[in-house]
Amino acid sequence: MIRPFVEKMKARLLAANVSSSRREKIKLLLKETRKIWKRYKRNPNGMVGLFIVVFFVVMALFAPLIATFSEPAALKWADVNPAYAPPSLEFLFGTDFYGRDVFSLTVFGSRPSLIVGILASLISMILGTAVGLVAGYLGKMTDEILMRITDFFLVLPWFPLMIVFASLMGPSFTNIIIIIGITSWPWTTRIIRAEVLSVKEKPFIERARGIGAGNTRIIFRHIFPNVFPLVAANTVFLVANSIFSESFLDFFGLSDPSMVSWGTMLEQAYAKGAFSSFAWWYILAPSACIILLVVAFFLIGEALDEVLNPKLRKR
Amino acid sequence: MPQDFRRYILKKTAYLTLTLFLILSFNFFLFRMMPGDVARVLIPRGADEETIARLTEYYGLDRPPLEQYLTYLKQTFTGHFGESITVYPGSSIEDLLVPFLVNTLILVGIGAVLSIVVGMYLGRHSAWKRGKITDRFYSTFFIIFYCMPTFLFALVLLTLIARFSPDWPIKGAYGVDYGSYDFLGKLADRTVHTVLPLFALVVQSIALFSIITRSSLTDVLTQEYMVTAVAKGLKNRDILRHHAMPNAMLPIMAAIAMDIGWIISGAIMIEVVFSYQGLGYLEWIAVVGSDYPLIQVIFMIQAVAVIVGNFAADLMLFSLDPRVKI
Repeated sequence: MIRPFVEKMKARLLAANVSSSRREKIKLLLKETRKIWKRYKRNPNGMVGLFIVVFFVVMALFAPLIATFSEPAALKWADVNPAYAPPSLEFLFGTDFYGRDVFSLTVFGSRPSLIVGILASLISMILGTAVGLVAGYLGKMTDEILMRITDFFLVLPWFPLMIVFASLMGPSFTNIIIIIGITSWPWTTRIIRAEVLSVKEKPFIERARGIGAGNTRIIFRHIFPNVFPLVAANTVFLVANSIFSESFLDFFGLSDPSMVSWGTMLEQAYAKGAFSSFAWWYILAPSACIILLVVAFFLIGEALDEVLNPKLRKR
Repeated sequence: MPQDFRRYILKKTAYLTLTLFLILSFNFFLFRMMPGDVARVLIPRGADEETIARLTEYYGLDRPPLEQYLTYLKQTFTGHFGESITVYPGSSIEDLLVPFLVNTLILVGIGAVLSIVVGMYLGRHSAWKRGKITDRFYSTFFIIFYCMPTFLFALVLLTLIARFSPDWPIKGAYGVDYGSYDFLGKLADRTVHTVLPLFALVVQSIALFSIITRSSLTDVLTQEYMVTAVAKGLKNRDILRHHAMPNAMLPIMAAIAMDIGWIISGAIMIEVVFSYQGLGYLEWIAVVGSDYPLIQVIFMIQAVAVIVGNFAADLMLFSLDPRVKI
């Protein structure tokens, strides 16, 4: 599946007018990537996780084609469809209180979860990695100050912190992404810093400095590539965490209520008494999706960790 | 050891004091530095002249920021937290908070003990049988429940109970006639109301603590002195109790201490879903009603609880560490 793509990229890169040392580097990188993929493929849990994520990504991308009703969130359905109809051929996952098709809502609901999951963890990864790299590499006072700040945010209970930020900033989709991003970075920082501390003592760093490389160059060209495997695995875990946080903030009523997401579906199900009417389909569909996606990212993270950082977890 | 211990306690206490102070300050600046007018955050919209004047006086809003900060510190230390603006308009927060705090303490206290005890038991069992079918079975369940967001589990539970046992109370920390019962009646009423939220709360933390215990114990069990213990002909129970557990205990305790915040987060979700009148539920009403003074105080309590919890765990860890007790 991935081989033709790699071959094509290789051909194109080799044909381009690049210097020979550059070309050598790219070749090595491709070789390394293929090796990692080969090892990853052997991990059944990782493959299951990847499959689920691809499934949801496809669902999000082609939501209008997959959903059986267009504009599933519109209120006009109340006049057309029955409320709380159980699953049938017409309504695959039944209907909700307003007569809207739960299947179509669920399909469209995959979009915000994936967007928040990926963007929020990107913010968190960039912040956390930057602070970790700088603190670990520069050491001394910088390290001391940055790590005290990190520790402070680490001891603050992140969940209540998110609620406080969200209530102060007001309910909106962008705010949710920012809030999840800025409350989850300290973990990344801790992990990255510890690794930077050990990498920076290695001889090749001293050699680079001897040749006359500046701090910025050493950090980005020599240290960052060496801590990258840790960053990658950690980011995937962050995605799982962000998706879960988003669904809860939605449920808590701290996100844009007009948006269709799994969390807001649950909130409406809860508010409209889907429980006493035993409209289990209305609760089961979004819950199952959230759990599947969170577990999938968790599995991918574990597999990546095993493939990229084998030393850390031989057992 | 005593000298070491004393120095350690001193260092930790200094650090605790500093962190607490930082949290108080953070709490002050966070709510006042947000965009918009401070008055929007602290004084109810559409309040009459008299209320506005009283609250301005109370918070010192017409004074310079530094003075406001000092007033805030003084009020916090003397137990005056200001007034609720929308949820219970006009009533002072310190009075209305107490019953909610008690309810949460009941839930979180029992929940924490239960999840540590059961989690460690299951994790130990699973680690002992690692690689066997029992362990596979357990581990699968741990992962599923660990990944299942607490509030989803609570929602599913709620649906099932509402359908199959409609008489079972699913809302609130106690029934409507709670006030009219005698002591035993009150206890029974509370128990009936607390069982479901408690169950939903501990499931995830049990899974988490089981995973921690299992991996920590696995590390110990695969070491060579375990083979020695088996070769000596010790009973399985003795190996586990005297050779494996003491060595695995330290990382387990450390990991559990780090996760105290988890239980508080879980409690917020559970309380909202079950309308259990605790701090988390109050926070939810406050957020929905934009009652900022109330949110501020609740956040402070949660943060302080987590930090003091971590502090206690640190001290316990230190006294558990065999390397220090020579």
